[in-house]
Amino acid sequence: MSAIRSVFSETKSSFIPYISLGDPTYDACVDWADALIRGGADILELGIPFSDPVADGPVIQKAFKRALANPFSMEKVLETTAKIHALHPHIPLVYLTYFNPIYSYGFENFAAEAKISGIEGMIIPDLPYDTPETENLFHSLQKRGIDLIHLVTPATAPARMKGIRDFASGFIYYVTSYGVTGERTALSNGLEERIRMTKSLFSLPVSAGFGISSPDQAKEISEYADGIIIGSAVQRIIEENGSNPSLCRKKLEEYALSISKSLRGNR
Amino acid sequence: MAKERSFTEKEGYFGDFGGRYAPEILTEALIELEGTYLKLRKDKKFLKELEFYRKNYIGRPSPITFAERLTKAWGGARIWLKREDLNHTGAHKINNTIGQALIAKAMGKRRIIAETGAGQHGVATATVGAMFQFETAIFMGEEDLRRQKLNAIRMEMLGAKVIGVSSGTATLKDATSEAMRDWALNVSNTHYIVGSVIGPHPFPTIVRDFQKVIGDESKKQFKKANDKLPDAVVACVGGGSNAMGMFYGFLKDKKVKLYGVEAGGRGSSPGEHSATMLFGKTGFLHGTKTLVIQDEGGQVVPAHSVSAGLDYPGVGPEHAFLHSSGRVKYETVSDQGALDAFMEVCRVEGIIPALETAHAFRFAKDLAKELGKKKDILICLSGRGDKDVAEVARLVGLFQGGEI
Repeated sequence: MSAIRSVFSETKSSFIPYISLGDPTYDACVDWADALIRGGADILELGIPFSDPVADGPVIQKAFKRALANPFSMEKVLETTAKIHALHPHIPLVYLTYFNPIYSYGFENFAAEAKISGIEGMIIPDLPYDTPETENLFHSLQKRGIDLIHLVTPATAPARMKGIRDFASGFIYYVTSYGVTGERTALSNGLEERIRMTKSLFSLPVSAGFGISSPDQAKEISEYADGIIIGSAVQRIIEENGSNPSLCRKKLEEYALSISKSLRGNR
Repeated sequence: MAKERSFTEKEGYFGDFGGRYAPEILTEALIELEGTYLKLRKDKKFLKELEFYRKNYIGRPSPITFAERLTKAWGGARIWLKREDLNHTGAHKINNTIGQALIAKAMGKRRIIAETGAGQHGVATATVGAMFQFETAIFMGEEDLRRQKLNAIRMEMLGAKVIGVSSGTATLKDATSEAMRDWALNVSNTHYIVGSVIGPHPFPTIVRDFQKVIGDESKKQFKKANDKLPDAVVACVGGGSNAMGMFYGFLKDKKVKLYGVEAGGRGSSPGEHSATMLFGKTGFLHGTKTLVIQDEGGQVVPAHSVSAGLDYPGVGPEHAFLHSSGRVKYETVSDQGALDAFMEVCRVEGIIPALETAHAFRFAKDLAKELGKKKDILICLSGRGDKDVAEVARLVGLFQGGEI
């Protein structure tokens, strides 16, 4: 069983926060990761900055812009990942990346080096399952025991979900709403039904993300989802407090605790 | 030379380029669009309606003009112009927006959105938005809004909402990203009218099909006038829709040399040009696999051109394929070269061309000398330059501090 699947088998509702690597510096991100894990993160998503993040809303776009003000290199990304992994080797790390940076690096090399740095899974929002590249990448990752985590959305038809099954592992990232990443106050209608349907089609845990920010939302969704992914709300704390590292650390840990406590009832 | 065309519509690839690399939330909409379009392109009623609007609204066929004075001034091959500047709204862009508006209508969508750089595609979209009574939103980079204010005003007058985009470099690349984000949110009631032969499948095919009228007409018109085909065809390339439309009619005519002209900008360093064929490498941008100007880390490098319509760091995937196969030669012309050609065409031929097209003119000037007399060059005059007059006046120093 992969490290990611083990988390889901031990935890009824996993907390999966996200940070953009390099925002505002790569070293600071090691601290942010540490704070989130101490606050109860079960899996940590690390965003690789990209110049044209079409699936992301304003908060993550701005985070990438700040990150790219630092010289970007995949070596720096991998090195920072390894530092986070060394601090908390039992917490699975997952990359969220657009496809171009890893295609440019060469995905065979990338897969090998990501594994050494401690990566257990990959999420690539602009790489649908039905492309030749997905098939190649899937095999590169599979050889090294890295999961390829796919997105399923409110618009994904059941027939497409069946296609995704052949290349999906780790967990399914269920996109709770139309649009791009970002906090929302209201969740879409029929979310529970859609997540239950998705679970019935995959023999994988289903985690919900996009738009979740409050402990109450997290608790509500955890009644039927296997995990909760929170990106923009975490990133906003960094946006507002990143220039004061000790305060930012404190706020991240407090926020993570508030979410993980809200899920604890289901653990 | 690689096989001329290996595109299969089912897969949406042109050789190694193309495909559908869009976020999952958009995929079902793209599949629906592909299915609808495959039916409509064979539907007699749809084709008749398209033909009606081409003739009675756009004003097609656009003429070809023998540019007698330019031919004389350049002292070489005969110069012919395909006059897309004479279309309603002043550019080739309307060919595509009429077609896509009819598709949107057939799909029952009530709202259309578009991205625009120079504003010609935005104006063409706002026009069909008014014509077919769609709610219309146009995304335009803040920098382009400054350079192309006239077109932004035209869009507003036509009833469209113009949304300034300040993220990233605030130009076409970022307007495209923002339009994709809007589409992801409103995909159930909105059709995204992509403005060039770019984006995820089926957009490059759809846009090419609506633009190929340029090449098809040109071929017939030129043959009728000269009893032969032109020796060379020249068109400017940003995303590449006017060029693709023009070239498509001549792809199988091996004796016709095809030239795409990109923006060489002000230098060869990253960020100084939009010469994707020269400096780009294979990558993934805005849902398609194509040549992309990027740095060593795979980050997309902002493009530059004096012409807002050309500064896009990618290119249509079918162009990338035609480049790799060698069927089309791609060249560059600098900002200064384009400005010089702009003024020359104004004064010699009495036509104010779009700054985009001015790149094609500057290249054709050298080509005319190289080919020599008795040869014929056909240039796609993709649009008129009214939108560019203020920016060109500023750049060449006309009316500085004076009265107009």
